[in-house]
Amino acid sequence: MTRRARFLGPLLVALLLGSAARAQDALPLVAALSQTQVAVTTGFTGASLTVFGSTEDPLGPGGDEVLVVARGPTRPIVVRRKVPILGVIWVNGPSARFGEVPGFYAIAGTRPAWQILPEPVRQQNGLGLDALPLTSTGARSPAFRAALLELEGRNGLWLEDVTPIEIRGSRLFHLRLDLPASVPTGDYRVEVLLVRSRRIVARQDLAFGVDRIGTADRIASVADNQPLIYGILCVVLATLAGWLGSVLFRRG
Amino acid sequence: MQVYLPIAEMSVDALLLVGIGLGVGWLSGLFGVGGGFLLTPLLILIGIPSPVAVASGANQTLGASVSGLIAQWRRGNVDVKMGGVLLAGGLLGSAAGVQLFGFLRRIGQVDLAVALFYVVVLGTVGALMVNESIRAILRRRQARPRRLHEHFWAHGLPFKMRFRKSRLYISVIPPLLVGFGIGMLSAVMGVGGGFMLVPAMIYFLGMPTAVVIGTSLFQVVFVAANVTLLQAVQLGTVDIVLTMLLLVGGVAGAQFGAAMGARLRGEETRVLLGLLVLGVAGSLLWDLLRTPPHLFSIGPAL
Repeated sequence: MTRRARFLGPLLVALLLGSAARAQDALPLVAALSQTQVAVTTGFTGASLTVFGSTEDPLGPGGDEVLVVARGPTRPIVVRRKVPILGVIWVNGPSARFGEVPGFYAIAGTRPAWQILPEPVRQQNGLGLDALPLTSTGARSPAFRAALLELEGRNGLWLEDVTPIEIRGSRLFHLRLDLPASVPTGDYRVEVLLVRSRRIVARQDLAFGVDRIGTADRIASVADNQPLIYGILCVVLATLAGWLGSVLFRRG
Repeated sequence: MQVYLPIAEMSVDALLLVGIGLGVGWLSGLFGVGGGFLLTPLLILIGIPSPVAVASGANQTLGASVSGLIAQWRRGNVDVKMGGVLLAGGLLGSAAGVQLFGFLRRIGQVDLAVALFYVVVLGTVGALMVNESIRAILRRRQARPRRLHEHFWAHGLPFKMRFRKSRLYISVIPPLLVGFGIGMLSAVMGVGGGFMLVPAMIYFLGMPTAVVIGTSLFQVVFVAANVTLLQAVQLGTVDIVLTMLLLVGGVAGAQFGAAMGARLRGEETRVLLGLLVLGVAGSLLWDLLRTPPHLFSIGPAL
């Protein structure tokens, strides 16, 4: 009986929310991105985009809170620790391999997530750098995880509560997301969560893509798909540049 | 002016790269070597990942050496037969070197291996050069005649071959071995190997100095082309945008350097080059020995 109730509970809530939304024709949360595609050209130096939206009920102290989480494509990462051999030469020693590491992660809220959500909910939804589901093989020490957090943070790829979400007129909110030049290309997900009395009451999923465009894209895709042709091109281009140099020099 | 490197997946200042190319090209024109041994560490220093720095360094060396080879060819300073034998060894060596490099990358020791190779090879070559050229300067002061070349065990080996331009009749085994060793080092260190090949040809093979630089460039051009191709196919680490920016500065710098080099005497140039080589080796050694500022590093898992 209790098990059935637990299954039915969320379903009921969803149905109620859905019908309420239809009835009033007003959503508790509406959000959008300023752009859905970030173009990486040969002049790319990073980009910034804005997450903005509005809520039905007033935001701020005593009212609703909003959380925004952006996640980039995942890739496996190896963290290595340097150790001295014979106490003299420093070499890469033990390493830990992390499977699904997001290439970009940013979380911000009208207040930090740990202040407005119970710990189990925060961990379950991966809200916060310490709640990222990072599993590793290899060296066990927690120092590797800590180093990964620190290094990704220093590269500007993992950001936690760097700038708070700004509120205008108690119902409008916006947040600027800064992507550094080293962001990986791929599909990004942005989750916008509405929190009321320490519960997530609404969420909206947004997406954007970071894609190489133009010359940068052609170079990278030829290098990936036809490495032999790319290699030959590199050889020919370098040879031509050298030949051109000697011709120019001869005239000079 | 920032430019995005599509293979390195990072943004760097284009003028900085052109400047590095210019500086390295100037030194390489001055000393008649490719300059890869300076370039690769510099690229790593400004934050280019080592695999990309090594592969693109080899590609840049190719362009720079073509320029020099054409100039030497016009003066008839290339021993094609000797170059061919060195090359045969060099191609085998660079194929082996790329495999070694791939293995080092898998076990996560590329940085250490590249640094160690640099320290040992540059340290040895630099010390030999300084030592030899100071002796040559002293000998010049004392005005003692020098023999054309000394005979030692390497000249007793079989498979002798006549190299007309180098005025040599020696076994093909020493040049093959020299070519193989340098080809392998080129692949791991991202250098053409000119700074190792030139001393090896003078002191080990006993070739006359006039044809040494042209013949070394001949071999370097082909080995660098081979390394570029192998790195592109097997590791996908050649960044053509990086290469071309370096070449813009490098080709111009090499011409200034060559013009200046013509006014310096051979021994003095070699002392300076030797000291430069030793300096690079010393700074890399210091990096290995001091306590690193960051104990942890991250990289993509392969």
